[in-house]
Amino acid sequence: MESVGVSSRLCFILCVFFSAYFFAGVRSSSAELQILNAERRVDLSSHIIRVSLTLKVENIGTTPASELLLAFPPKQVDHLAWIQAAAVTGKRKKKTFLPLDVKPSTGPDGPNGTKHYSVTLVNKLGSGESVTLEVLYVLTHSLEPFPVEISQAESQLVYYHDSALVLSPYPIKSQETSFRTPTSRVESFTRLEPTDRSGTELKYGPYEDRPSYSFNPILLHFENNNPFAVVEELVREIEISHWGNLQVTEHYKLAHAGARQKGGFSRVDYQSRQHFGSSASFKHLLAELPLRVHSVYYRDDIGNISSSRLLIGSKKSELLIEPRYPLFGGWKATFVIGYGVPIQDFLFESADGARYLNYSFGCPFAETVVDKLTIKVVLPEGSEDPSVVVPFDVQQSLEKKHSYLDVVGRTVVVLEKRNVVPDHNTPFQVHYKFNPIFMLAEPLMLVSAFFFVFLATTVYLHMDLAIRKS
Amino acid sequence: MEAQSVKPISSPVPEAWYPTLAVLMLAVGLIVTASFFIYEATISKKNRSLAKELSTGAVASVFLGFGSLFLLLASGVYV
Repeated sequence: MESVGVSSRLCFILCVFFSAYFFAGVRSSSAELQILNAERRVDLSSHIIRVSLTLKVENIGTTPASELLLAFPPKQVDHLAWIQAAAVTGKRKKKTFLPLDVKPSTGPDGPNGTKHYSVTLVNKLGSGESVTLEVLYVLTHSLEPFPVEISQAESQLVYYHDSALVLSPYPIKSQETSFRTPTSRVESFTRLEPTDRSGTELKYGPYEDRPSYSFNPILLHFENNNPFAVVEELVREIEISHWGNLQVTEHYKLAHAGARQKGGFSRVDYQSRQHFGSSASFKHLLAELPLRVHSVYYRDDIGNISSSRLLIGSKKSELLIEPRYPLFGGWKATFVIGYGVPIQDFLFESADGARYLNYSFGCPFAETVVDKLTIKVVLPEGSEDPSVVVPFDVQQSLEKKHSYLDVVGRTVVVLEKRNVVPDHNTPFQVHYKFNPIFMLAEPLMLVSAFFFVFLATTVYLHMDLAIRKS
Repeated sequence: MEAQSVKPISSPVPEAWYPTLAVLMLAVGLIVTASFFIYEATISKKNRSLAKELSTGAVASVFLGFGSLFLLLASGVYV
C-alpha cells in the first residue's frame, strides 16, 4: 500500500514537472519566430474593409512551435468582424490551402493594448522550418467620413487610419503594404519612404528588418462613394412547419452610415444627376434568396412597397428592392421582407432519427454590415432538445412563441451576433427531436372543435326547454 | 454529413394536393353536415337514435377538420 502511494505521488510530481516544462516550451517558442516576408493588401473599395495578409514565418528557435500570434491595434479589434487563416502549400498554380483555427489569444496583451489572436498550426513548425500563411480579416465601421456633412451633389471623402508597418509580435525581415482605393481620387496620404502611388493603388514599402511591434500610424484621405449600407438591427425569424414550408420573415432597420446629408433634398437635382454616379447615396439593394423561394413580400408599416423585383433563375433567386426614398448619409429606412421556401431543401433527418435545419446565417444583402443580428428559429410544437451548431461565437437563448393552433407554444431558439459581414453567410444547423405524431395535433384540434358543435346541437335538440309539459 | 445517412424531410402530403384536398374534404364534410341537420329536423325526437346522430357528427367533423386544415395550408397559413 505504502509503495503504491509513493509511486502515484512521484508520478503526479513528474506530471506537474513535465507539463510545466511543456508549457514553458510553448511560451518560449512563440517568441522565437520571425517573419521573413509579409505582404498585406488592404481593399478599401467598399465600406467593408478586407485585408489579406501573406506571412512567411520561420522558426529560428530550437523548440517546435505549435501556435502563432497575430497582433491587432485595440481600435481595430473592436471593428474586426471576421478572421480566417490558412496554411499555403505548393507553388503558384498548384496552391492548396489548409484552413487553420484562429481564436482570440488568452495570453497577455502586447504593448499599448495590442490584442492578439492565436493561429493553431496543424503541423508543428520545427526548428529552422518555415511556413506560408494566408490570413484574411474584415473590418467594419473603420472609414470615417470627412467632411462629416456633405451636400447632395458632393462626393464623399473618408479617412482611414492604419499602420504602414504590419503589426506583429515577431520581427519582420521584409514587408510591403498596398492599399486599394475605390477611385484614383486620393486627397492626401501619409508618406513613409518608400511610398508609391499609381492610380487606385497606394504602396508602402518594402521595408527591411523591422523589430517586433513596430507601428507607424498613417492616414489616408480618399473618395469613397460606395453605398455605406448598414443594417442597424436585423431580426430574422425562421418558422419551421412540417407541413412543407419554411417561413422566413426579416425585419430590417437600414441606415446609410456615410457622411451626413447637409441641407434639403432636391428631387429634381437628384434625378438630373443620377447618370453621373458621383453621389454617395443609394436607392436599391440586392438580396440573394434561396433557389426555390415563393410568396415573397416586401412591405413596411404603411403597407406594400411596390418597387421591388424578383428574379428567379436556375441557380439562384435575386430580389432587388428599392426603399421608398433614396438613402443619403444618416437616413434610415425600416422594412420587412418575407418569403417561404420548401422544407425539403433545408430540413433533414440524420441517421440517429434527429431532425435538423440547415440554413444560411447572416444577411442576404450584398455588401452590407449588420450591427446586430438576431436569428429566431421557431421549431414546431412538440420539438425537444434543441441544439445549435454555428461555426462562430453567438449568444444563444430560448423563448416560447404562440402561433396558429398552438397549445403549449413553440420553442424558439434565439441566436444573437453583433458585427456581421457577408463572410458570415455560412450554413448553421439547429438539431431537435420531433415525433411525427405531433403533426396530428393541429387537425385533431380542428376536428374536436367541429365535433363539439355537433355535440352541442344534438344536446340542445334533445333537451326539453319548454316550461309547460307538452 | 454523408449523403447516405441524411435524408431530406418533406411534407407527408404533397403540397400540390392541398387545394384539391381542401375542396374535396370540405365538400364531403358539408354534405355530411347537411345530412346531419336534415336528420335532426325531419325525424321526431322519439325516433332519433343518439348513435346515428353522433356518428354522423363525428364523420362530418373529421372531414371538416381536415378540410379546414388543408384550406389553411393551401392559403399559406402553415401551422
